[in-house]
Amino acid sequence: MVRLISPRMILAPLLSVLLLAPAARAFDGWLPLSQDDLTMKATDKAPGASAIILYKQVDRDDDSGARHEHVYKRIKILTEEGRKYATVDVVFGVRSDGKEAEARHISTSFSGLKGRTIHPDGAIVEFDGSVFDQKNESDKTSVKDRRFSLNDVHAGDIIEYQVNVDLDDRYIFSSHWTLSEPLYVREAKFSLKPNHRLLLRWSWPAGLPAGTQPPVEERLTGLIHMEAHDIPALPREDFMPPLNTLEMRVVFSYTLDRSVETDPVKFWRAWGKKEYGLFESFLGSRGELQSAAQKATAGAATDDQKARKLYDFVLSLENTSLGPQRSRQELERDKAKTENAGDVLRQGRGSSQQLNWLYCGLARASGLDATPVMVSARDLYIFAPQLMDPHQLNGDLVQLKLGKDAVWLDLGAKFAPYGILPWEKTATRGMALDRDGGTWVDLPIAASADNTIETKAEFQLQENGTLQGTLTITYTGVEAMIRREGRHEQDDTARKKFLEEQVRNSIPVGATVDLTRQPDWKGTGPMVAKFNVSIAGWVTPAGRRAVCPVGFFTVSEKEMFTRTTRFHNIYFHFPYRKLDDVKIELPAGWSVASLPAAWEKDAKAAAIIVHIEANGNQLHVTRVLRNDLLTVEVKNYASLRQFFSLVRTGDELQAVLQPAGATSPPQQ
Amino acid sequence: MNSKLFCRSASSTAVRMGTLLLGACLFTSAAFAGKAQAPEWVHSAATQPMPAHDDKVDAVVLYSSEEMTVDSSSHTHGVVRQVLKILRPDGREHGVVYVPYGKSSKVVHLRGWCIPASGDDYEVKDKDWLDIAPPGVRYGELVNDLRYKVISIPAAEVGNVIAFEYEVEEDPLVLQDTWSPQLQDPVRETHYRLNLPPSWEYKATWSNGPDVKPTASGNSYEWVLHDVPALNIEQHMPPFRAVATHMVVSMIAPGGSEKTFNSWEQMGNWYNRLLADRLSSTPEIDAQVASLTAGKTTQLAKMQALARFAQADVRYVAIELGIGGWQPHAASEVFKNRFGDCKDKATLLRTMLKQIGVESYHVSVNVRRGAADPKMQASVGIFNHVITAIRLPAGVDDVSLFAIYNHPKLGRLLFFDPTNEFVPFGELPDYEQASYGLLTGPDGGEMVQLPREPSSLNGIRRTAKATLDATGGLKATFDELRFGSRAAEQRDVLQSADRREDRTKAVENLLSHSFSAYTLTYMASVNAADVSQPFGYKYSATVPNYAKYAGDLLLVRPRLVGSRSSALLEDKEPRKQPVVFEGPELDNDVFEITIPPGYVVDDVPPPMDADFPFASYHSKTTVEGNVIRYQRSFEVKDLRVDMNQMDDLKKFYRMIASDERSTAVLKPGASSAASTLH
Repeated sequence: MVRLISPRMILAPLLSVLLLAPAARAFDGWLPLSQDDLTMKATDKAPGASAIILYKQVDRDDDSGARHEHVYKRIKILTEEGRKYATVDVVFGVRSDGKEAEARHISTSFSGLKGRTIHPDGAIVEFDGSVFDQKNESDKTSVKDRRFSLNDVHAGDIIEYQVNVDLDDRYIFSSHWTLSEPLYVREAKFSLKPNHRLLLRWSWPAGLPAGTQPPVEERLTGLIHMEAHDIPALPREDFMPPLNTLEMRVVFSYTLDRSVETDPVKFWRAWGKKEYGLFESFLGSRGELQSAAQKATAGAATDDQKARKLYDFVLSLENTSLGPQRSRQELERDKAKTENAGDVLRQGRGSSQQLNWLYCGLARASGLDATPVMVSARDLYIFAPQLMDPHQLNGDLVQLKLGKDAVWLDLGAKFAPYGILPWEKTATRGMALDRDGGTWVDLPIAASADNTIETKAEFQLQENGTLQGTLTITYTGVEAMIRREGRHEQDDTARKKFLEEQVRNSIPVGATVDLTRQPDWKGTGPMVAKFNVSIAGWVTPAGRRAVCPVGFFTVSEKEMFTRTTRFHNIYFHFPYRKLDDVKIELPAGWSVASLPAAWEKDAKAAAIIVHIEANGNQLHVTRVLRNDLLTVEVKNYASLRQFFSLVRTGDELQAVLQPAGATSPPQQ
Repeated sequence: MNSKLFCRSASSTAVRMGTLLLGACLFTSAAFAGKAQAPEWVHSAATQPMPAHDDKVDAVVLYSSEEMTVDSSSHTHGVVRQVLKILRPDGREHGVVYVPYGKSSKVVHLRGWCIPASGDDYEVKDKDWLDIAPPGVRYGELVNDLRYKVISIPAAEVGNVIAFEYEVEEDPLVLQDTWSPQLQDPVRETHYRLNLPPSWEYKATWSNGPDVKPTASGNSYEWVLHDVPALNIEQHMPPFRAVATHMVVSMIAPGGSEKTFNSWEQMGNWYNRLLADRLSSTPEIDAQVASLTAGKTTQLAKMQALARFAQADVRYVAIELGIGGWQPHAASEVFKNRFGDCKDKATLLRTMLKQIGVESYHVSVNVRRGAADPKMQASVGIFNHVITAIRLPAGVDDVSLFAIYNHPKLGRLLFFDPTNEFVPFGELPDYEQASYGLLTGPDGGEMVQLPREPSSLNGIRRTAKATLDATGGLKATFDELRFGSRAAEQRDVLQSADRREDRTKAVENLLSHSFSAYTLTYMASVNAADVSQPFGYKYSATVPNYAKYAGDLLLVRPRLVGSRSSALLEDKEPRKQPVVFEGPELDNDVFEITIPPGYVVDDVPPPMDADFPFASYHSKTTVEGNVIRYQRSFEVKDLRVDMNQMDDLKKFYRMIASDERSTAVLKPGASSAASTLH
């Protein structure tokens, strides 16, 4: 899936311009319209679609002085909802989360905009040319959000437009064709005139549509082109893999190197050497590290103790990658730069990567075997080394060898317990860097038993059916880490509200929840929170009896995989385990008339065990849900859905209670 | 002056969204401005003690002032200042300041400062502005006569003091202003200063607070309030303006002015003047009217066709009235663009109706019931939406026309909202019913109460027949009809579906909230496109293990689907504001479950009869032969629940929750046993 072209010959640009000229002239007009398209009501290729793209053409020029892209789209509007596609975002800005996929769309301006609406009877309404933008008047912003809206658009119409998008020079390094659209694409044509001064490779990480021939390079001109048909729409779903891995794109990667490496092994070795050099450069003077390491490990008798003391020390430093985004004024005022390990030590702060590299330096200075590791964080990518895309190694951590054991540490994750990684850096590949370029390592994933939510409840049932009592919830591993990370900028008032809402939202009916003990929000160990809880009407009347549901904190499962159909593979972030232990003391004179049987389902990678028992006037329910799944192929969706349906069914089981005096059921 | 009202509405959802979207660019755009110094008024306020507040307050306003100066040519010049101390992390959003402006107004300057807990002050100057389209407004980028200036104040962090000042010049359409000293944050000291030309007068009217008198100096007047408590937002509370202390001030030129009004009638005349040149037709509009009404033999059919065009063929740009100004675009422009806001849509519809000889009028309303009241001072700030009142020609009468108001002079008026594309002609959205609107008729304005339609026009009628087998599995067929807003919301869901698979999502959501597992075996919608008819769903599902075993007993929930309970009042914090319902509503369910052979019904839930002045709920489970029959009704009777009824409302919701979860008990018995339980 990787192709390579050599540097362009000097003459090639001229030739390609000459040979492109006829195609360019074709865009002075519009492609012919067919009667079938004009009268189309629907298509079997995209059943129920609100609109489809009949034709898409992208001609990109990375070579000329003003790099640009010519886009032509013809869209058939099939339903009222499809009218929204008459408003076109030509250019997107950088999203506030800075995701790379969006950053690819940066441009400086656009020109040559033409558009029209064609009614089913062939009548044409020309676009009036109005363009609306959102940009800083002083033109200092990186956001250039420009839109236009075609006129007089109705269901049944065809709309089409052409526009030249001028590209920022910096983004030549993100050159690509996007095949996938939110809509089905019937036919698409792409071309690229590569920059002749740079070396280029290209790939299609998420594959190509069925039957599509890969891009072809014209020998004479160097022009690369491709045609595709029947590109499926890309819908969004819960629990879907990272979008980067699903969106069909042909990615062009330029390199400043003198030669393009086609062998992935050699490529990554060279890249690893370079990265290791940067790491070494960051460590700088060893004297400062030595001194700091000695101080931090004072009193440690074993390597393990040293490693942990250093871990605590580095975690205590300020992580400048976290916290609220600072304005340029604040950054400008902050003259103190942290460019090497010495700076970080002196100033007591550094970025996530600097803290990881600092730990490596300190560990080495303490005689430990620590290695810097670059890793592909799987919240954005599923690593594919053959693509030779360094962007995919976008995270960092530390590999520490203590005897035969490897300990993986991420000092950039403020709340990671020692030896536990953030979920996105587990079950993925990384490169342990060294002078020779490094070696590939597979990052381990914590077991579900390490990421738990354990809920212990002691309730008293009131005569009116209300449950009242206390709740103790313990979060461990990643379950604690993600809660701490998500709230680290908040105060205790907001954290209290957050936890109370989490409990309220986990109970299938309305409940009053009051946090009585805050957990430790700043540490890395388990988080233990305590609550007072009141659930009105939990037990309901059934004639002479009363019934008590035995599924208490189950709402999250109630909402999982309820749709009948599924498009994408299912992607879980990390294994987890939920343990509920609920005791209910019945009112005096009440008794348990009948209990549902204990039940369990072991689906290997996921399992549930429920026990329900009566001890005198106490009802005792335990429920353990284990999920060790990470990825489930869409073909197995029905099985997955069935498992969670079983869980939900079990959560709806009820115990039958006999109130005091057979004729006095609970009343509201 | 209109712009001021919305300048810093950090509570607005739209503005919050804008904060997120703009964060990245604002942080990079604020250029370093060297050593800065906040003005003395900022430093002075920063040293003041904080007003009383609890630990949930994000920020406190230490000082706030608005100064409005009117010149003799009726131009205004407003200066707004505010100093806040950020107390909690969520208070950071106060650091992004939005100032709207339009064709008739200009932001002269907008500056911000921060006094950090340590170190030098920060300053943001005019050159650091962003200029943006209305944030968070669907199709907002299409309009070019409403924009926002935005700044982001550096270091807007907990413990720091931030401040901003902006100045707006305006040639206002109306010489009126609203001062809102009560905010969602407590305010220590707040000022409003009015500077009038010689001989001018003013009229000030207070709402939801004492009638504070100003101090006067020449023809300048200053109102000052101290320690204004915060007004917290609660779910389903009345509109903020309806409960917050505020003052409406009208500036009155000697001998009066076209830009001044003191009554609803005068306000209507003022609005008529704004509309005067906007209602002209064009040959293109005439042709469209002719095309739409061709073949239609009755005036009603013609009106329906034109109304449908305005509803569905003109895209709605969701800019609130007031924020986007009061003067609509010309009908010709709206027709050409095929987009517009509410007043634009009303304008085009009026113009088209005129072509078939039907008179109509603009009606200004507020989509939050209670925000507009005839007892209030006539004010532009009251309204946020415009609909149409159509004067029904003689002889036009139809059972589908409910939203009718019998006007003593104008005769029968039919209210219609061309903005809501799913409301049938003849009805009003539930959120507009029974609220007050300013009818702008030929003789000026008057406040009229919009009709409240029968509850039966808004709700769900659902029936189901189901069969239970001995394993607890259920097969059920549902038939439901939806009316009013319940129909509109489903039409919207279906219309939003990009794929065929998404068209089942609404029913799947309903089923997934009621059944732990299910298979949807059939689904069809009825009248999805024809808004004049009730919307319907027909669907069938199989539900494994619907009935649950407990020992040898089989437990069955008679209420198959749908929920009317609410956890609104299940909160440890005491409720402070009344609860308002969206609109009148009546839901009915009838579910019949045939039990499996070999079982008899041993217990059924007791009937539930909850009847309160504001709403009622009745349910009953009976057994007839081998069929469990569950029927219930839910009706909203009064659209507002006052504080003295809050305990009853809580009880009401709990009773519903209990009924919805209640269970019938089956036990093994003679298969032929026939029983009747009530």
